[in-house]
Amino acid sequence: MTRPSLLRRISAREAQLAYLLLTPAVAFLMVFMFFPILNVFQMSLYETNKIGRLIRFVWFENYINQMKNPEFWEIVLRSAFWTFTGVLVKTILGMVIALLLNVQYRGRKIVRMLFILPWASSVPISAMLWTWVLNHEFGLLNRTLHLIGVANPPIWLGRPISSFVSTMWVDIWIGVPFMALVFLAGMQSIGEDLYESGYMDGVNSWQKFAYITLPGIKHLVIIATLLSALWTFNDFNTIYIMTRGGPAGATDILITGVYKSAFEWLKWSQASVMAVVTFVILTVVAVLYARMYFRAEE
Amino acid sequence: MKIMRTTVMLLLLAVFVTTGVFASGSAEEEKPTVTVFWALYDGLTEEFREELEDAFMAEYPDIELDIVPVPWDQMYDRLTTSLAGGDPPEVSVIGTRWLLEFMALDAVEPVGDYVSQATIDNIADGAKEAVVNGVLMGLPVAAGARILAINNDVTDVVPETMEEMRAEAIRVTGGNTYGLIMPGQKHTELTDFAYYFYAAGGDFFETLPDGSYGRSTVNSPAGVKALEFMVGLANDDGVVPEGFLSMTRQNAHPVFYSGDVGYVMIGAWVESALAQAGADFDVTYAQIPGFAGSPSRPLIITDSLAIFSEAENKEEAGLFIDFFYQDEWKARFDELVGFPPVTVSAASLPQFQSPLYQALNEAALGAQPWPLIEGWAEFSDVIWDAVSETLLGQKSAQEALDDAAAEIDSLRGM
Amino acid sequence: MMAWRNRNKPMTLAITLVMLVLMLFPFAIMITTMLRDGTEIYIRPPQWFPDRPTVANLVNVWSEYNLFTYFESSMIVAVGTTILNMLLAIPAAYAVARLRFPGRSFALYLFLAIQMFSPVIIVISLFRIFARSGLIDSYLSLILANTVFTMSFTVWMMTGYFRSIPIEIEEAARIDGCSRVQTITRIMLPVAAPGLVTAMIYAFIWAWNEFLFALSFIKAAEKMPLTLGIYRFVGRWSTQWEMLTAAAFLALIPVVVLFYIIERRLVQGLAGGAVKG
Repeated sequence: MTRPSLLRRISAREAQLAYLLLTPAVAFLMVFMFFPILNVFQMSLYETNKIGRLIRFVWFENYINQMKNPEFWEIVLRSAFWTFTGVLVKTILGMVIALLLNVQYRGRKIVRMLFILPWASSVPISAMLWTWVLNHEFGLLNRTLHLIGVANPPIWLGRPISSFVSTMWVDIWIGVPFMALVFLAGMQSIGEDLYESGYMDGVNSWQKFAYITLPGIKHLVIIATLLSALWTFNDFNTIYIMTRGGPAGATDILITGVYKSAFEWLKWSQASVMAVVTFVILTVVAVLYARMYFRAEE
Repeated sequence: MKIMRTTVMLLLLAVFVTTGVFASGSAEEEKPTVTVFWALYDGLTEEFREELEDAFMAEYPDIELDIVPVPWDQMYDRLTTSLAGGDPPEVSVIGTRWLLEFMALDAVEPVGDYVSQATIDNIADGAKEAVVNGVLMGLPVAAGARILAINNDVTDVVPETMEEMRAEAIRVTGGNTYGLIMPGQKHTELTDFAYYFYAAGGDFFETLPDGSYGRSTVNSPAGVKALEFMVGLANDDGVVPEGFLSMTRQNAHPVFYSGDVGYVMIGAWVESALAQAGADFDVTYAQIPGFAGSPSRPLIITDSLAIFSEAENKEEAGLFIDFFYQDEWKARFDELVGFPPVTVSAASLPQFQSPLYQALNEAALGAQPWPLIEGWAEFSDVIWDAVSETLLGQKSAQEALDDAAAEIDSLRGM
Repeated sequence: MMAWRNRNKPMTLAITLVMLVLMLFPFAIMITTMLRDGTEIYIRPPQWFPDRPTVANLVNVWSEYNLFTYFESSMIVAVGTTILNMLLAIPAAYAVARLRFPGRSFALYLFLAIQMFSPVIIVISLFRIFARSGLIDSYLSLILANTVFTMSFTVWMMTGYFRSIPIEIEEAARIDGCSRVQTITRIMLPVAAPGLVTAMIYAFIWAWNEFLFALSFIKAAEKMPLTLGIYRFVGRWSTQWEMLTAAAFLALIPVVVLFYIIERRLVQGLAGGAVKG
């Protein structure tokens, strides 16, 4: 048997097996994702009526109309900023918590469970809870701040900047447990012997982290931050429930725009355009990430 | 080749399942089902819903009734989804102004086609808001004008004008007490701006000779006067609770219930809300005043029951509506949600003669509804942003309203 | 247990405590709100401790509002989503992780591309599909919709974990006579347990907390999951915070319990063998 043909045979079998294993998942996605997405792309290229039926093919008119609107670009930039900062903070906090939980002590299990609580509650409910917490008249946060001496606690959801920070914080709060969990699982897979050899050489904790822990979970960090970026960018519930995009548009991001256009104003074409723009932006991000990931593999 | 065969089998299975999923599957029902989207008003109990369901099905054993409870905030969402998906309910509670959108889609049919004449005749004429182009499209299910509630522990003054209200509010503000409630965070309803705007005699759109709406007049002198008045009250006079910008009425009105505020512009639900919050102070109900030289012109909101065209069992739906509008059920409903009755027969019942109902009835006489115009949700959003920007000090009232009017006009293609 | 970790313990515990307070104080507020009567909610200034604490809300929310039915629905949907996810994702992940075939990176990318769409965007289309197949008001509609959105993560997670398992382990099993399938079930899955567990928890929690699909596809009160049920307390003009927090608190418990149970497996899976990064 010559080398090349053996290899060809093997890879043909492998490919067949691969397709077999992939078929259920891909078929499933074809039905429930592919056609709906196609519909969205379609709607962005058509004039649509109030329940989404296609009326007239208008090429890229919808896109041009949107892009002529300066508010649209404001929203795009805001979405990007909101996402970037949110993911950054989530990653850092998640890493810190994972490191804290990686240490053995009695009661660690309880502490772990406590840390996942923000993730365990549904987003709309958590957003409502936080709205209550941040309430200026009836909320206990400002009351507590007042009691410990803060003279004028901020009106969290009343002013543009504090609203932006508040909604971003709630999104971070909800997302941190997941990051911590993923990082922790990764840290615990790093062999003990790697640490041991480090200890023998007398390195301190920071160096341990930087040279052993971090590289060991590099794959996970990349995947987790990418997924987090995608999810954060599309996080609709948090902002909509807390501020509806206000005050005066200070917390308007693309996904809330999509919802409002579609469900409040019944402007399906407009909503679809924003959805497609979201897709394009996130694709660019994902491609950049994929390069990082595949390079990290080697 | 075993792998190839298995792959093909799986693919065939996938195709089979896919076609099965797409095939129009209709479970064979023996009885026709009437689906009702039931808006959850505060005060409306689960018990009532179940009792109504059981009672109707007892009287009509051949009809299956499904009253689906839906929180108000989700009602529009649900209806949109079900209409777009081709599966609307038979009946739904809707905000009357939504009728225009639904009619443009041919999604609703005149309720008069399915409901008995007796029921229609029993509806008070003044409550028949859901009349479009002369045809009664929906029956009023909750109709209420807005009124002024006064906390007698803080003040006894019933203001005749807005300026009077302001003066009294300033007088009582101090310490932990505020003069007036003003929700400042954007929500679906354009209040409280509409209260001040209507009180100044303003209208959102000019009315053209043929009766249709012309350009937006939200930036008229009345609009600017109203908005500047609001900014004065909130920012300069300080009579409004500090965090007002962060509060929708859901959070703002409870400050009144806590007993620390003199005035609030509010609707029929105030009495049950006060009871729920355990308030123990006396309340006087009065009219929302106009500005000096303008009459009192409060806002009136109605919700209607509408029947959807694409639904299957519309005749049976009509039977349900007839059943529901009997005093036994509708009057109890009105009592629970705190709205004045819309039926002639119920209006004379003793429980509806209290001071609150008297104030509501008086308010209804001079009240003004939202403009019945397609796309109001978006226009309302634009105006809200203008109000927010002014309250935040980002723009002057004139500037903000001018921009809003321009935007609304351009959205309407004018 | 490593000696060097002992040295850092007090500081670790201190920082942990600070982080706990920072992250969990809203839950403290949740608890104090649910333990009070409705008349003590809107009081100025707000108080941490109610004058008349009561557990009536926790009791009433069960009897008056059918909380048990909501729990049941949520459980069915969440478990169904998790199972369907595993059935679809594990084979797919194995293929992508271990096998070479044309279109491999495309497959990976495809799974990722799904994440770029939020449920908001495709909910109407999904509604149409389900309406035409009579699946509206069925648990299956939620299970299917939830699986669509959790699949990318589960596939990616499992791929990563499968890939991190040294090929030697697998080859050893093959030499011993295991078929591919046996290799997956007997060798790979146990070793990739941490990843499997993480993926399962993720799918479960996502489905348990999902709101928009439930809102769109479920009408019958008996089939509503918790996320919808809790929203009943948000009225048109005011919110019953005492009931909402009570229900939200109860809704947390199954998730926490699940995590507690799974966590032990997480540790067991790790004890089975050190997986080199």
